[in-house]
Amino acid sequence: MSNLFKTKFDAAAIVLIPACIGINYLGKLFASVLKLPLWLDSIGTCIGGCLGGPIIGAICGAANNLIYGFTAGDNITLIYALTSLGIGVAAGIMARLGFMKSFPKAIVTACAAGLTAVVISTPLNVIFWGGTTGNVWGDAVFAATQAAGMPVLLGSLLDEIVVDVPDKLITLIVVFFILKGLPKKLTTLYEADSEIERL
Amino acid sequence: MKSISLYVDNGTYLTKVHPFTKLAYIAAAISVPLIGGRLWLFPLFIGVSICFLASGKILKRAVPLIAFSFTILITIFLIHGLFNQQNTQVLFTLGPLRFYREGLLYALHIGLNILNMLLSFAVLVLSTKPSDLVDELEKRGFSPRFGYIINSVFQIIPQMTGTMSTIMDAQRSRGMETEGNLRTRAKAFIPLISPVVMSSLINTRERAIALEVRGFGAEKKKTWLKDRPSHPGDRAAGIIFLLLIGGALIWRISTWL
Amino acid sequence: MAVIQVENLRYRYPHTEKLALDGITFSVEKGEFIGIVGENGAGKSTLSQALVGLVPQFYKGAYGGVVTVGGLNGETTPVSKMCSKVGLVFQNPFNQLSGARDNVYEEVAFGMQNLGVEREEMKRRMERVLKMLDIWQYRDRNPFDLSGGQMQRVAIASILVMEPEVVILDEPTSQLDPAGSEEVFRAVEKLTRSGITILMIEQKIEKIAAYCSKVLLLHQGKQIAFDQPEKVFSLDNLEDYGVLPPAFTRICRAKGLTNPDGTYPATEEGAAVLFSKDQREKELKEKKTGQKVHASEQNEKRGELLNPVFRIDHLTFHYSPESPVLKDLCLNLDRRPTAVIGQNGAGKTTLVKLLKGLLKPVSGNIFFQGEDIGQKTVAMLAGQVGYVFQNPDDQIFKYNVLDEVMFGPLNIGMPQEKAREEARRALELTGLKDKEMENPYDLELHERKLVAIASVLAMDTDVIILDEPTIAQDWRGRQIIGGLIRQMSQKGKLVLAILHDMDFVAEYFQRVIVMAHGQILADGRGDEVFSQKEILEKACLNPPYVSQLCSRLGYSGIYLTVEEFLKETT
Repeated sequence: MSNLFKTKFDAAAIVLIPACIGINYLGKLFASVLKLPLWLDSIGTCIGGCLGGPIIGAICGAANNLIYGFTAGDNITLIYALTSLGIGVAAGIMARLGFMKSFPKAIVTACAAGLTAVVISTPLNVIFWGGTTGNVWGDAVFAATQAAGMPVLLGSLLDEIVVDVPDKLITLIVVFFILKGLPKKLTTLYEADSEIERL
Repeated sequence: MKSISLYVDNGTYLTKVHPFTKLAYIAAAISVPLIGGRLWLFPLFIGVSICFLASGKILKRAVPLIAFSFTILITIFLIHGLFNQQNTQVLFTLGPLRFYREGLLYALHIGLNILNMLLSFAVLVLSTKPSDLVDELEKRGFSPRFGYIINSVFQIIPQMTGTMSTIMDAQRSRGMETEGNLRTRAKAFIPLISPVVMSSLINTRERAIALEVRGFGAEKKKTWLKDRPSHPGDRAAGIIFLLLIGGALIWRISTWL
Repeated sequence: MAVIQVENLRYRYPHTEKLALDGITFSVEKGEFIGIVGENGAGKSTLSQALVGLVPQFYKGAYGGVVTVGGLNGETTPVSKMCSKVGLVFQNPFNQLSGARDNVYEEVAFGMQNLGVEREEMKRRMERVLKMLDIWQYRDRNPFDLSGGQMQRVAIASILVMEPEVVILDEPTSQLDPAGSEEVFRAVEKLTRSGITILMIEQKIEKIAAYCSKVLLLHQGKQIAFDQPEKVFSLDNLEDYGVLPPAFTRICRAKGLTNPDGTYPATEEGAAVLFSKDQREKELKEKKTGQKVHASEQNEKRGELLNPVFRIDHLTFHYSPESPVLKDLCLNLDRRPTAVIGQNGAGKTTLVKLLKGLLKPVSGNIFFQGEDIGQKTVAMLAGQVGYVFQNPDDQIFKYNVLDEVMFGPLNIGMPQEKAREEARRALELTGLKDKEMENPYDLELHERKLVAIASVLAMDTDVIILDEPTIAQDWRGRQIIGGLIRQMSQKGKLVLAILHDMDFVAEYFQRVIVMAHGQILADGRGDEVFSQKEILEKACLNPPYVSQLCSRLGYSGIYLTVEEFLKETT
């Protein structure tokens, strides 16, 4: 259990974080260039979590939103730093528990990350936007629940599930395939408990 | 290289104001209306932000930032105006749609809050060079590791997006389609994103080496190339903003009691 | 006292079986210039990283022996402390930038800031070093906007300002164009005069021969020799270690011209001295020079008779009207293997992108086998014109080499079986046959480049365009690429390559096109082009080493390769 959060905070990890934030940005960019109905903006955060562990994942996620919020003017994302942080931690913990080793297990990780996102985002949505998410499909669901007289929190929860779970599912599938392709000489850099052997 | 930072280097007084002063302004502009709980406080601070932006000659640059959040604002007005649970009083009808007063008021509250946040942030974002902000943070004891992460993001993203068109060309050269129905486009996602993701991850190894050989992580006390002479105005402004927050708190608590 | 002392260094990377370094022992005195040579994978980079302590501290793994640099132990001293004694510059110019500074001045200061150098001292050092490396004028530019050669000099400057006792240059020019390489070598030359101790790893063997006082030859992690360049390059079995001796050594060896100590000279100067002493050569020179010209005219005619594959007609292209890239270009390309040479910004890449249909002409036309390609999409041309991009990492995304190579053929509608067959054939040609099931990203850059070449060869296109195929290749890799160029051309395909490696151009290409500022300066056979001094100067190009020797010896005819030189002068 103590191993679960063990983190190397060396140059390799420090450099990984901006790369992951860049990957988040690109995921979002390619999704919009190809006009895909998804965000795909947390691919990097999940990679960070899976490679560097939950703490690095958390930093990737939170730093991602904080940086954009404070410098690129996209400060709506600022509020969701907490969600990104949660996604990074969830992906990190699941990966350390071995839930990125096979495709079915990666799906479980995807659900864990998706639900984490839902649990954290829903209250934020309600507090800041009165329950909407800004995604057309999700907000259609929200509108329907409100029209049907359901409580805001429940409506927003459904809204968020519709949006986040499929998105995280695709995200983690992409992450799974990327991790599978990474060369050993890179992944060994992030092994938290490697030692120098004396010849 | 196109930067993702929105900083406008136009040399006005606003670019010379200490980043921390602007941060204090953001804190005040966002928290005072929320703590104070009065609707008129929002337009007040929105007005102040607009004045700052105009005097810094960056008001025009702030427009796209606001336009960006326009869709979400419209959705909020629609959904709450039509379906909010508290809706009782019809304000107006638009064809078959009935808009209620309570919902619209609620949406107005949220909308003003968003606008206020966006504009107060715009004051900082448009007039501050990110690396200056990081330098100042580091000088006050912020971890250089985090400082590196922030600065690096600003360099890495334009670099990565720059390779995007090359990758597109390379894969199209091998006969891949990037246009067509959803299935074709979805199928193109992996061949497009995978090379840049892989190479940027693999490059981290060399980049880490580059940092190591340049003493990153040395225990020594860091030095800086530039000094920012502290301006008396910064101090005064900072104190005023903090007093405003304190004042709002006291006022709120006293009205409760 | 020795500044570097390496004793029985052994090292194994984590999760591998084989020792990457096995029993390395040598020492370097202050102020020496040491060259490290060997084929790709010989352990050169690993050794350089062991000298700064990255091996083993950064990579972990298994380590034995002792490395001491400037009195610090490489195994235990943190790299952040080692770096004040020894600096490392490596291949890729991009990855060496800290990535956190938006102008050159601050970029160069990054290391000094970490070491806590005082502000005034930082400024003093930067001014001195930036001026020495001739990049002072770029100090306010974004380092990522610079050219490769400029960027690499920024990297060298960033290391020098930290004032290390030893500088290690790990193939600093292997990923640069000719001008960039020259800029960096000029910088290296200035360094040699500054008295600093330098270790340089380099595939451009003539450069090693010109600068080094001693050469360390590695092969499969083992130390083969550590001696004077003449001695190392005169080893009979040097080729077995994947190293081709300098052109001058090869010529003198074939002619039996030896130094008094029995070794062959390694530099142009050394060779010239021996030639001038040799009586036979003097006579030969008078008899033979200038004879070769007429043999070429037949070739010329043959070329013109062939049907053009591409007919380029008054082609103009620009991204913005103020800065034209190609100006009113007229050119026919037949099936001779053709090399396009010239500096960065000459318009070479733009031209081949137009041929591939990735860009559309602003005015003028390009006809491919008689058809105007202005109307065709990239996808329509994919099966006919293949284009290998410079950076293989811009396209590789599959988990094994075979799938990667099959991606193109399948896209252009080849049936599965045929695609696999073509892919296997392409892999065999590129010498990757036994790597088809490996993850491409587990391969080294030079092998990934070959994968990218194979992935286009497998599409079996009529035209193959190669953008800088020899970057990062050692002698063996260059032979593989040269061989496949010959084979493709024999099959009747047009091979068109953008190149900066003049010796490679001289050896494998029948037609050479020199470009500068969007125009064609010269077009013809290699010896015709390389004998036009003014044009080469105008395009900032250096002729092949053998041609340089020819002009030094005062020959009026030009020979391009060692083989040609020997054939014609004996």
